[in-house]
Amino acid sequence: MNKVLGLALGILAAIGGFVDIGDLVFNVAAGATFGYQLMWVVVVGVIGIMVYSEMCGRVAAVSGKAVFDAVRERVGFKAALGALISSEIVNLMTLAAEIGGVAISLQLLSGLPYRWLIVLAIAGFAIVIWVTSFEWLERVFGYGGLCMLVFAVAAVKLGPDWAKVGKGFIPHVAHNNKLLYAYFAIGLLGAAMTPYEVYFYSSGGVEDRWSPKDIGLNRANAILGYTLGGFLSLALMIVGGALFLVHGISPEHLGTIALGAEQPLGQVGLLLALVGILFAVGGASIDTVFSGAYNLAQFCGWEWGRYRHPRGAPRFALTWVVLLVLALGIVMTGVDPVILTEYAVIFSVAALPLTYVPILLVANDKAYMGSYRNGRLANVLGLVYLVVIMIVALTAIPLMVLTNAGQN
Amino acid sequence: MSGKEIDIGLKVLDHQLLDKDGRRCGNVDDLAIEGGPGEVPEVVAILVGPGYWGQRAGWIGRLAGWIGGGRRVRVEWKDVSKLDSAIELKRGATELGLGRGDDRLRPYVDKIPGSGR
Repeated sequence: MNKVLGLALGILAAIGGFVDIGDLVFNVAAGATFGYQLMWVVVVGVIGIMVYSEMCGRVAAVSGKAVFDAVRERVGFKAALGALISSEIVNLMTLAAEIGGVAISLQLLSGLPYRWLIVLAIAGFAIVIWVTSFEWLERVFGYGGLCMLVFAVAAVKLGPDWAKVGKGFIPHVAHNNKLLYAYFAIGLLGAAMTPYEVYFYSSGGVEDRWSPKDIGLNRANAILGYTLGGFLSLALMIVGGALFLVHGISPEHLGTIALGAEQPLGQVGLLLALVGILFAVGGASIDTVFSGAYNLAQFCGWEWGRYRHPRGAPRFALTWVVLLVLALGIVMTGVDPVILTEYAVIFSVAALPLTYVPILLVANDKAYMGSYRNGRLANVLGLVYLVVIMIVALTAIPLMVLTNAGQN
Repeated sequence: MSGKEIDIGLKVLDHQLLDKDGRRCGNVDDLAIEGGPGEVPEVVAILVGPGYWGQRAGWIGRLAGWIGGGRRVRVEWKDVSKLDSAIELKRGATELGLGRGDDRLRPYVDKIPGSGR
């Protein structure tokens, strides 16, 4: 019974935790530009993150190794150093964007000045992470993020043309503005398959001391958690298509996204949306900052762990503190978090193979995995996604340049 | 430490080091191998620290190693107790000169309230 409860709680937290600023920005913007035509890309992305998360969780359960341990052992020092540098850059950009998102939601809720709230948010995170236990943090942000479900209610209330929504699940290419369509497709894939999620997930598995008997739990977590999170992403796109596209609004501000819940549901909808965004983006900030610290600590062989108090893992603690300070510097320049998000997602797409290729190699390696190595399904899906990842990685930055980051 | 054959490139190099108490105290950054022409080469020591990164990854390794403080520690092969998914050592990290960054930082961390149990 306890296990079922634990799984249920974990999944609830995952729904709230799946959607981050990248999903918010790209799903709503894609809906506002192409209606429901890109629904299928969200499905492709969600299955992709499931496939690779499941592999990472299984590697953690069988070998006791988190992603960056495995990356360094399997692809060697030089490639791993490249993967580390690129992942730290993308992570820091993402962290800064998420913190900007936290400050914007706080600003809309409180009316206080933006820059004060940035400082408040970062100081708050630093103190809370330093002092409290991670379990508690994860739950609070996960459950708070559930307020995002208001977007699912809003999506239904807006009364979209369900036949068109259904058609959006059939893969196709738009008739006009193909470049922009491709740019959004890549952004949606990148937002769904954000690498920090797998770093964070696999390190958590190692810390929870998963063993081969937890492989079923890992699979259930990956499939259920991401499916439900994916539904929320789809709901955001529907809101974008049914409200913003119809009214010709382009949601260039996070606050505009929250209005997507106010229009059909009134003040309560707006409040829930803002609180949901605050917790979703806040939870993602914590995941991101830890991912950055995990990767460096695992690359260097330091002590690490989110359940460890700073005393037990001093350099790990110093790393996340430094990352928060660097993110503070970036957000304080006044850079728009929505634009920063777009750059972070597109750069993360360009670096995706550096994370996912080694994972696929390790999950297939008999020496590591023995009888738990990838089965046929995982391998077929893994390879298909590898091709997808390679294509999107190569085209991401050119498309960003050609479309002026989705502006035309 | 004998009998079974292992691939040191795959099973030792770049692996996590654990001291006798299970503390994570670095990765195997390089290996010292001895043996002239015609002799059987033998691994004599594990080399740990950012100071060895230059010989693994050229200028970018040197740069990263310099940022990392350039420390070099040599752990004799006889101090290895077990080759598992991590490399387990017979002695404590502090005694071997490993994990010094964490040891040096800890007193400062301790001064900040809420830093540990």
